[in-house]
Amino acid sequence: MDQSLIRNFAIIAHIDHGKSTLADRLLELTGSLTQREMQAQVLDSMDLERERGITIKAHAVRMMYPAKDGKTYQLNLIDTPGHVDFSYEVSRSLASCEGALLVVDASQGVEAQTLANAYLAIHNGLEIVPVINKIDLPGADIPKTQEAIENAVGLDATDALLISAKTGLGVEEVLEAVVQRIPAPKGKPEHPLQALIFDSWFDPYKGVIVSVRVMEGTLRRNQKIRLMSNGKTYNVDALGVSTPKPVEVEQLDAGEAGFLVANIKNVADTKIGDTVTDDERPCNHALPGFEELKPMVFAGLYTVDSHEHTLLRDALAKLRLNDSSFFFEPESSVALGFGFRCGFLGLLHMEIIQERLEREYNLDLIVTAPGVRYKVSKTDGSVIEVDNPSRWPETTDILKVEEPVIDATILTAEEYMGGIFKLLEEKRGRQKSFEYVGSARVMLHYELPLCEIVLDFYDRLKSVSRGYASLDYHLAGYWTSPMVKLDIMVAGESVDALSLIVHKDSAYERGRLLSAKMKELIPRQMFEVAIQAAIGAKIVARETVGAIRKNVIAKCYGGDISRKRKLLDKQKEGKKRMKRIGSVEIPQEAFLAVLKIGEDSNK
Amino acid sequence: MPTGVYLSVPFCRSKCSYCNFASGVFSQSQFARYVERACAEFANAQSMAQTHGAQLDSGVDTVYLGGGTPTTLAPEDLCRLFAHMRQSFAIAPAAEITVECAPGTLDEAVLAALVASGVNRISFGVQSFVDREAAAVGRLHTRDVTLADIARLRAAGITNINLDLIAGLPHQTAESWEFSVSEVIETGVPHVSVYMLEVDEDSRLGREVMAGGTRYHAHFVPDDAMTIDFYEVACQRLNAAGIAQYEISNFARPGFESRHNLKYWTRQPYLGVGVDAHSMLGAEGGEAVRIAKPDTLDGFLYPTPLMPPVVTRVSRAQALEERFFLGLRLNQGVSPAELEREFGAEAMGPQRAVVARCVAEGLLEEFAERVRLTPRGRLVSNEVFERFLE
Repeated sequence: MDQSLIRNFAIIAHIDHGKSTLADRLLELTGSLTQREMQAQVLDSMDLERERGITIKAHAVRMMYPAKDGKTYQLNLIDTPGHVDFSYEVSRSLASCEGALLVVDASQGVEAQTLANAYLAIHNGLEIVPVINKIDLPGADIPKTQEAIENAVGLDATDALLISAKTGLGVEEVLEAVVQRIPAPKGKPEHPLQALIFDSWFDPYKGVIVSVRVMEGTLRRNQKIRLMSNGKTYNVDALGVSTPKPVEVEQLDAGEAGFLVANIKNVADTKIGDTVTDDERPCNHALPGFEELKPMVFAGLYTVDSHEHTLLRDALAKLRLNDSSFFFEPESSVALGFGFRCGFLGLLHMEIIQERLEREYNLDLIVTAPGVRYKVSKTDGSVIEVDNPSRWPETTDILKVEEPVIDATILTAEEYMGGIFKLLEEKRGRQKSFEYVGSARVMLHYELPLCEIVLDFYDRLKSVSRGYASLDYHLAGYWTSPMVKLDIMVAGESVDALSLIVHKDSAYERGRLLSAKMKELIPRQMFEVAIQAAIGAKIVARETVGAIRKNVIAKCYGGDISRKRKLLDKQKEGKKRMKRIGSVEIPQEAFLAVLKIGEDSNK
Repeated sequence: MPTGVYLSVPFCRSKCSYCNFASGVFSQSQFARYVERACAEFANAQSMAQTHGAQLDSGVDTVYLGGGTPTTLAPEDLCRLFAHMRQSFAIAPAAEITVECAPGTLDEAVLAALVASGVNRISFGVQSFVDREAAAVGRLHTRDVTLADIARLRAAGITNINLDLIAGLPHQTAESWEFSVSEVIETGVPHVSVYMLEVDEDSRLGREVMAGGTRYHAHFVPDDAMTIDFYEVACQRLNAAGIAQYEISNFARPGFESRHNLKYWTRQPYLGVGVDAHSMLGAEGGEAVRIAKPDTLDGFLYPTPLMPPVVTRVSRAQALEERFFLGLRLNQGVSPAELEREFGAEAMGPQRAVVARCVAEGLLEEFAERVRLTPRGRLVSNEVFERFLE
């Protein structure tokens, strides 16, 4: 294909600003799919993606577009994940493109996520075409949206495209703009092969399928390729493009995007951002920007039914085939039995994994409070990394603790600033900058400890801003902080699954809230049960669950013994579903309470 | 072994707010068909028992008409029911024949019909002697009506009378409860039942209490601690008055224990007829069969193969469990030695361990080679019973 007729582009948009709808319209207009073949939002093919309206995996779709200049162009739309947890993947998708459509909802304005990705695109040297969507809605304010784009992103928005992806209004012009304004790719087919991996997933029949953008050289069928990060070599069995139906091709030239199949067994071998080259005639250097993905959020995963432990192990192994960015290792808890310590890219990633395990593998899970990985310097001179409260060293052995810190960008309306400042202060944030972007719109830059984000920050931010605040962040380094381990004891026994690492200053309050919550959730037992929160040997809060005083069926009406037995059976069954710690039955909800105490303190 | 016969009559003049039974207000036009169906079931009882591999002794020594309010039926319907029952079963001359009755439903004709049919025991759903409390839950009688009915029964020769009280009714206070209990003792009846209000999904009042609402005076329902106090006061007062507790909710002067209800707790055979009626009959091989009839009026009036009775064969292990969770309701408790002779040491092993644990926790007590609930165990008896279940 003549390289001047190729365009590679991405769509940058906030959740619900219409990215997927626009993508569907583009596919429809270019005849890639007939109306009949359209399933709502074709590109988000996972159930979860459709339900949540987010894109988790990146895709590349090739469309052929006969432009008004009489030539037919090959347009490769590289769809990108839309969540902060996946910002590295986004950066690699963007690196595969020469341009991007920046889609902004005419009634909502620019959101933090969009802004972060737009900056990322600018940083990657992409040509950005602003698109103002949903102009058909009553709340649409085009001048204000243009102003926001200009102020926040720093782009000239006077020639922004005005469209309604829903009705199709102006979508044709989007295709023209892609052709006219986004540059054609560079790169020479005769150079040594240099292709960027921007996604990969496992297919049970074909093995790993790798999405690539060829930057230099040519990728051919039967070629022996090498992955530069690990030196592994494979033979290319098949090459193809998605239209979005998969179509096999013989080669992908510099400038083109597609997928390759090479009998790769393990998705972890095909790391996003890695460079594919020719084994015999390799390129001089790998493409820039490659990073090993590191999990940021950690939690314990357990099955409610301890007999399902091996099922969980198998399910995790299968999921990891498709998602090398999360990791797991066995751990055991006195309270919950055998389970797994898992690391995730972020909270959404954790929720997705949990939901897939429950849905696709039919498992009932208990997830312990998510936490982060601390660097603990011990008095013996050693430094250890701890992401599991049960491995927290004794207080006397700790010299200092360093916690991961993020740079956060929050975009919101002026009126919610008060509540947001208060929240950020409570979460130990440090302001770096604060500026107006357009009238009444504010952009905040803060440094925040990551552990304050993972528990309940999103929900709190949403609630103080009534949903009108958006957040983006990236890891920025470490702070030395006085972190302590907070234990919860039930009837004198420490329940390891409820332990938390918290800042010393908030330990009392958390201990108090958590024990109060436990009191609500632990049903009355045959004896009085003490619930205590402790830091080391020091009790910081105490609650008491009174003993059962009355549980009696007064009447055996008409000799109905079955009803009575059913009642007793149900009562017994209820107890079986609880976890027994010492002599106390604790319901599952109690283990989730750790996640929820923030919400309550907010009320 | 002689059978106890239970007939449920699900009709009431009004539905009380605390009621969680399959009873209600139905059109009188359905009464006749109900009686007809019940009579047919008496006639059909033997073949029904055979179908389910159960044994039914046609000798009957207790009869119980419960409800609902059996006395809402017409006098001739009541007579007809007893006549058909006597055709199908040999009712012993000394049989205990009880009819449940709401005070105020006992007009002369009904009373005459009951006496003529051989009824010798009446159970009154008084619930409270404080008129305001009775009215708040939808009872239609007053204290005066109850006392008058008791007098009329005695005049007609029926002296074996039970009065029901409910502890935990809306508006009840320590003083008003004391008053109701005193009034019960004052009447001199030989049998009293004291039920603690059941707050569950099956009654309107229960649902309202659980939802924290104010309908049915739900916000005036005493809390658990008060209800427990009421119950304990009743136990103490009745025992002191010579009306001794013999079951969690039942009290009687010596020799006046309900022989019919004792069959439920000691697992003697009984036949249940009518809506939501339950039978337990002996089966070949020594085990028991439990049979539950449809729990809707239409299901009983117009039986279809689509709504067959629920038949449960009680296994030997379940029979042993039942011996515990039913037998322990009685103040006489159960005899582990006796059960071991009947069920074997192996089956009794785990149960003995449960007994030992409950004794250690003060929920059961041993006396004269038997075990029984302690007063505390009685209040949390469900927790105790559950432990005897597999």
